[in-house]
Amino acid sequence: MGLAAALGLSSVPNDLSAEAGRSKPIPNPVPAYNPYPPGILPPDLDSEIARVQREVQFIFNEALKEWRALPPPIVAGNPPTLQGSGYDAVEILGKLLNFDSNMSPFRNEACGFCHMPYAAFSGPIPSVNLTMVAYPGTFHYRANKRTAQRYTYSPDFPALEYNATQGAFFGGNFFDARSTGYKLQSADAEQAQHPPVDPGEMGFPDTACITFRLSKSVYRPLFEQVWGAEFDIHWPPNTEQICSTPAGAARFGGSATPIKLSATDRTKANNIYDHWGLSISKYERSNRISPFTSKFDAFLKGTYTLTADEMAGYDLFKGKANCNSCHLDGRSTTLKPDQTDVGAAANTRPLFTCFGYANLGLPLNPRVALFYETTPDCFGFTPNPDGFGYRDLGLGNFLRSGPHSGPNPNSGWMQYAPASDGQMQTTTARNVAMTPPQCPTTEAPGPYFQKEFFHNGYAKSLKQLVHFYNTRDVYPFNVTSGHCPEGKTEKVDCWPRPEVPNNIDMTMGNLGLADHEEDEIVTFLQTLTDGFNPANPNVSSYSDINTFTGQCITGGMAATQGNELLIPTPQPLPPCAPEICGIPPVPGPKPVP
Amino acid sequence: MGGRAAPMHLPSVFMGINGSAQMNRLFLKLAIAAAAGGLLLSHPTVAQILAPEPRTEHVEITRAPELESARPWLAIVRWTTTNPRGDDAHYGVVYYGTDPEHLNQTARNPIRLNRAHPETTFRVRLQGLQPETTYYYKVTSVDATGGGDGVESSVSHFTTPRAGEVINNYPQPK
Repeated sequence: MGLAAALGLSSVPNDLSAEAGRSKPIPNPVPAYNPYPPGILPPDLDSEIARVQREVQFIFNEALKEWRALPPPIVAGNPPTLQGSGYDAVEILGKLLNFDSNMSPFRNEACGFCHMPYAAFSGPIPSVNLTMVAYPGTFHYRANKRTAQRYTYSPDFPALEYNATQGAFFGGNFFDARSTGYKLQSADAEQAQHPPVDPGEMGFPDTACITFRLSKSVYRPLFEQVWGAEFDIHWPPNTEQICSTPAGAARFGGSATPIKLSATDRTKANNIYDHWGLSISKYERSNRISPFTSKFDAFLKGTYTLTADEMAGYDLFKGKANCNSCHLDGRSTTLKPDQTDVGAAANTRPLFTCFGYANLGLPLNPRVALFYETTPDCFGFTPNPDGFGYRDLGLGNFLRSGPHSGPNPNSGWMQYAPASDGQMQTTTARNVAMTPPQCPTTEAPGPYFQKEFFHNGYAKSLKQLVHFYNTRDVYPFNVTSGHCPEGKTEKVDCWPRPEVPNNIDMTMGNLGLADHEEDEIVTFLQTLTDGFNPANPNVSSYSDINTFTGQCITGGMAATQGNELLIPTPQPLPPCAPEICGIPPVPGPKPVP
Repeated sequence: MGGRAAPMHLPSVFMGINGSAQMNRLFLKLAIAAAAGGLLLSHPTVAQILAPEPRTEHVEITRAPELESARPWLAIVRWTTTNPRGDDAHYGVVYYGTDPEHLNQTARNPIRLNRAHPETTFRVRLQGLQPETTYYYKVTSVDATGGGDGVESSVSHFTTPRAGEVINNYPQPK
């Protein structure tokens, strides 16, 4: 399908038309970092990076048009408010920020590069979702360790708190909660502040680089309209040189503030960075991204009748499968055939999450890119010196301020680390099944759009996801991924042992679902996709959904989707590195192997 | 826009993590309004973090502990009680060992209660076991802050299978 057709183009900007034939990504000024053995990077990676860069640019240009179409600002009232256009102004600003590729050292990676609308603002490259799990950063091919989380409804997660009454953490953003929201009281806004300075993502060496690049952006007047004119900062002459160098470079000596600013200018830059996060968060909370327009919402409203399979799946979701113990839908669960649903309807719009954390017991996924980044790149940065000694302890690692996470801003929480090892955020189930319209499902045989599920992308279809919840404890094997016994099929009747054996949640694991019941739950999950319009049910109303210009996949079976790309985990697997498992309070009562 | 937000220097009194939900909501709205000049939405979903239910006064075991499945290295024990309520997060706890008089090992796993259930099924993984070995065990359950539910089973036992064999008392239905 041609780009113009795919984009439904009647108005492709000239600059995008000129770029349409480009099949290589915006080049790095230095040779790529490629520590990977053959077969780890997908063969179409460069052309797919280029595709997404074009799509990002297209959306950015559309946002510029939206900004230019805004009415002249009217500031009224006290406190002063952008009367009439305030919502649009902040949302459009957030969209511009989110899709501006200048917000990376090599001007090649916007936030949106890893979060595209047609994937519910998660990972847009099918081959990456099938293989390396994490997305390449500004400096190709540095990459991290987890799947790109969906933006949808992420602003609805409250700031992280430990609820002493209930003995559990709630809120935060990221799988490991490292974006707490402690300062802005918006976990989502603070989330938007992490990737720009993550060496494996957009990778600026200093948060002030965002302010510096913003000060030169064409949409700076919109930023100033919303937040005020605060760019009068004295920038050292080497600022652009610093901001063109990826984070982690040895020349920075570990400094997070290599740009030498006066205290006053640093404060201004910090404030602008806060406003960056808040603007993006508003965009994510808006009806453009989190609109509550799924079939399920129409069902709640009474304007859509669930099909028999969808209803059966919903009954299982809140019944036998017990999904809504954690993915709260505001209703109760009826485990037994004769049990009556006495639960009250939600008093808020159901978000299909409890905002909590759980260790589901997923196996280590040896395809995760981070495991292979054990040698220094040309900037002298080694992403993961521990190699396969790395273990993803999730929330527990964050509470210890461990590597590959962020500093824990509350020392009183550290004591809870051992009880939190392996726990990852209970994400909203909303939009888990969203795909581009031309690839209408996540499930083989399709035509389907290849997504990845769970924090480490171990499941490649929703069928596998549901089957894991259903049978993790029915088919456990004391092996690592890629080593299931002969005659057994991984993800079908063999689940390798958990990466983190501590704190495994036992609400699930043996749900007693028959095969067709798993399929019905998948069907129900597909009703949680936003953009459903009862008046025109075959055309999604979701904003920017029609921006995918890649290829759908056909063939195969959802149960074994992606299994052809399983690789063996190294044997023997190195023990958990002291840099991770040796930080007190260490994992326990038994160590993580 | 004239309503530029001032930098937020938050009074420490507002930074407490254990404040009431009402205070949290109020603070969240204040913080966002201050930061965004009132342009941003409030967060109504904070209310979706449910307050705990009153604990059940007398929790009873309604289905005795039994072996769900066993491998030479792993066993899963399950039992059912009346819903203990209280914290949504609970732990099943199994004390076990090869000597019925000395249950010197402990396994515990979290589950999340479902408030509408009259009963709760606990499941616990016993890992690192030896094949063809008889283990004795008893069970109890506690809430997330360590408070016991007041139930404790009598001592039962199971024997792990030999290498390559599986015991599965709850197979997946066809």
